[in-house]
Amino acid sequence: MKSIVLSSVVVALLVFSGCSSKEVAVDTEKTEATTSSAVQEVKAVETETVAAEESIVNSDTNSLSHMSMSDIESELSTVYFDFDKFSISSKAQSKITKAAELGKTGASQYNVKLEGNCDEWGSDEYNFALGLKRANAVKKALVAEGIEASRISMVSYGESNPVCEDKTQACYSKNRRVDFKLLP
Amino acid sequence: MKILFSLMLIFGLTFAGDATIEVIKKVDALPSIGLEDASINYGDTFKLQFFKALVADLNVISLFNVDRFHRTNHYNATDVVVDNKDMNYVLRYKMYEDDSGSLNIDMKIIEKDRDVFSKSYKVSRKNIYMFISHAIAYDINEFMGEPSVSWMKRKVIFSRIVEPKKSEIVISDYSLAYQHVILKGGFNVFPKWANKAQNAFYYTSLDGAQPTLKHVDIKTLKVSSVISSDGMMVCSDVSRDGKTLLLTMAKKGQPDIYTYNVASKKYKRETTYGGIDVNAQFMDKNRIVFISSRLGYPNVFSKRLDTKEIEQMVYYGRSNSACSSNGEYIVYKARETSNAFEHNTFNLHLISLKTDFIRRLTVSGVNEFPRFSGDGDAILFIKSYENQSSIGIIRLNYNKNYLFPLKYGKVQSMDW
Repeated sequence: MKSIVLSSVVVALLVFSGCSSKEVAVDTEKTEATTSSAVQEVKAVETETVAAEESIVNSDTNSLSHMSMSDIESELSTVYFDFDKFSISSKAQSKITKAAELGKTGASQYNVKLEGNCDEWGSDEYNFALGLKRANAVKKALVAEGIEASRISMVSYGESNPVCEDKTQACYSKNRRVDFKLLP
Repeated sequence: MKILFSLMLIFGLTFAGDATIEVIKKVDALPSIGLEDASINYGDTFKLQFFKALVADLNVISLFNVDRFHRTNHYNATDVVVDNKDMNYVLRYKMYEDDSGSLNIDMKIIEKDRDVFSKSYKVSRKNIYMFISHAIAYDINEFMGEPSVSWMKRKVIFSRIVEPKKSEIVISDYSLAYQHVILKGGFNVFPKWANKAQNAFYYTSLDGAQPTLKHVDIKTLKVSSVISSDGMMVCSDVSRDGKTLLLTMAKKGQPDIYTYNVASKKYKRETTYGGIDVNAQFMDKNRIVFISSRLGYPNVFSKRLDTKEIEQMVYYGRSNSACSSNGEYIVYKARETSNAFEHNTFNLHLISLKTDFIRRLTVSGVNEFPRFSGDGDAILFIKSYENQSSIGIIRLNYNKNYLFPLKYGKVQSMDW
C-alpha cells in the first residue's frame, strides 16, 4: 500500500513538474522583412480608374442651382454612429431630415452614394458589413423622409477610409460614420 | 498502479493527434543545427541577408534549435568549424554566381562528420534568394521525415492600405521577404487566389459605381469583371476545384452569403437572415462555416448547402467576427475586451468539432484574418500591434508563432 501511495505521489510530481514548465510560446521569432522593389517578374497591372464625371453646369435649374455639386455636398452633414452599432440616433435623424430636404430641393437633380465607414477595430468582412448596415440605416431613413430609393446607392469601406488616424476615442468616433457623396 | 497507467494510456490515445491540445516541446530537447557559409562571389551584406532568411526558415520548421552565429568554412573542408563541434547537425552551403548571372547554391547536411544529405539549387536572379531558402528548409524537413511543409512554397496575396481609399495588391512569399506589387492605383481589397495553382486571383474593386468582383490572370495580366453588387462584394472563399465561389453580397443593402458558379455565372442566395451574414468558408463540398450576427453579436455558424440546416459552432466569447476551417478544425477571431474607450485585444482560438477543447493561439494585440494552410499544418494570420502590421505563422503541432513584419502600410486582407 505504501509503495502504491509513494509511486502515485512520484507520478503526480512528475506530471505537475511537467506542467509548471508549460509556457505559451508566442511570437518567438521576428525576422526583418526586406524590400524587393526591384523584383520585376510580372508587370503591375494598372487598374482602370472610373473617374466620376465632373458635374456639368445646367443653365435651367431652380434657384439653388447656382450651388455646385461640391457646395451642396458640403451642406450634407456626416452621420455618426456608436461603437459596434448601426442604429440612428436622434441627432443623426435631424441631419438625415435636413439632407432629405436638400435632396428634394437643391440636390434634386443628383443621386447620392452613401459611404459606410468603421473605426479600426477589425479589418474583416464583418466590419465591412457593419459599415454597410450603417449606410443602409441612413438609406432607410432617407426613404422614410420621401427620397426615392432608386436615387440612393451604397458602398462600405470598412476601416479603410479613416478621416482620423490617432489612437483616441474622439478619433475612433469620427470614423464610425456615413458620408454623403453626390453623383451626377 | 496498473489502473493509473491504463487511465493515462487511454487519455493519451484519446487525445493523440488533436491539435486543440497544446504540445509543449522544450527548446533544449530539439537537436541543434549550426550553419556554415562557404560562399564565393557575393558581398557580406547579401551573405548575411541569406543567412538570416535561412535561420528564420529553419526556425519555422520547428525541428531544430538553430544556432544564430554566421560562421564560415570551406565547402569541402573535412571538419566542421570548432564552434560547431557539438552540434547535432551542420548545414554547410555555398552560394556562387555562374556565367549567366544566376544564383546557385549547393548545400549539404553533415551529421557526425558524415555528409547525410545534399542538394543544389538555382534561381535566375539573386534578389529572389528567399525561395531557395524556403526550398532548403522544405527539403531538410522532408529529409528528417516530418509532415510536409509544402505551404512554405506557396505564395501569399494581400491588400495593403497605403492611404485612405488607396491600396495595393501584393504577392509575396510566406515570410514577406519577396514582395511584388501586382495591382496598384485605386481602391482594391479582399484579394483571393482563384485556384490551387495560384496563377489567377479575385479581388474587389471599390472604384466604380458599385463594388465589383474582378478576376486577374497573372500570366496575361488580363483583368475581367465577374459580378457587382450595391453596398458590398467580397469573395470569401473559392472551392478546391475553383468552380464555386462563396461571396458576400448585399443585393438589397442586406449582407448575405451567396454561392456563385464560375462556369454558368449563376448565383444562389444561401442565407436570408436580416442582420449580418459574412465570411463564408468551405468545410467540405456541401458545408460552409460563416459569421453571423443572428445572436445579437458576431459568432461562428455552419450551414449545409443542400439543406437549410444552420448550427452554432462556437459557444465561447461574445464577439467572434472571423473564421477559417480545415476539416474538423475551425480557427476563429474573438474580441477579448469590449471597450469603446481603449485598445481592444483580439485573439485567435482553435476548436475541434470532435472535442470540447478551445485552444487560444495568440496572446496580445489585434490578431485577425486566420487562414489555414491547405494541409491544415499551419495558420497564417495578420497581427497589428502598436502601429505595426505583420503576417504571422502558427505551427499548430509545435505550439509556435512566428511574425514577419510589413515595412509600410496596413494589411487589409490576405489569402494563402
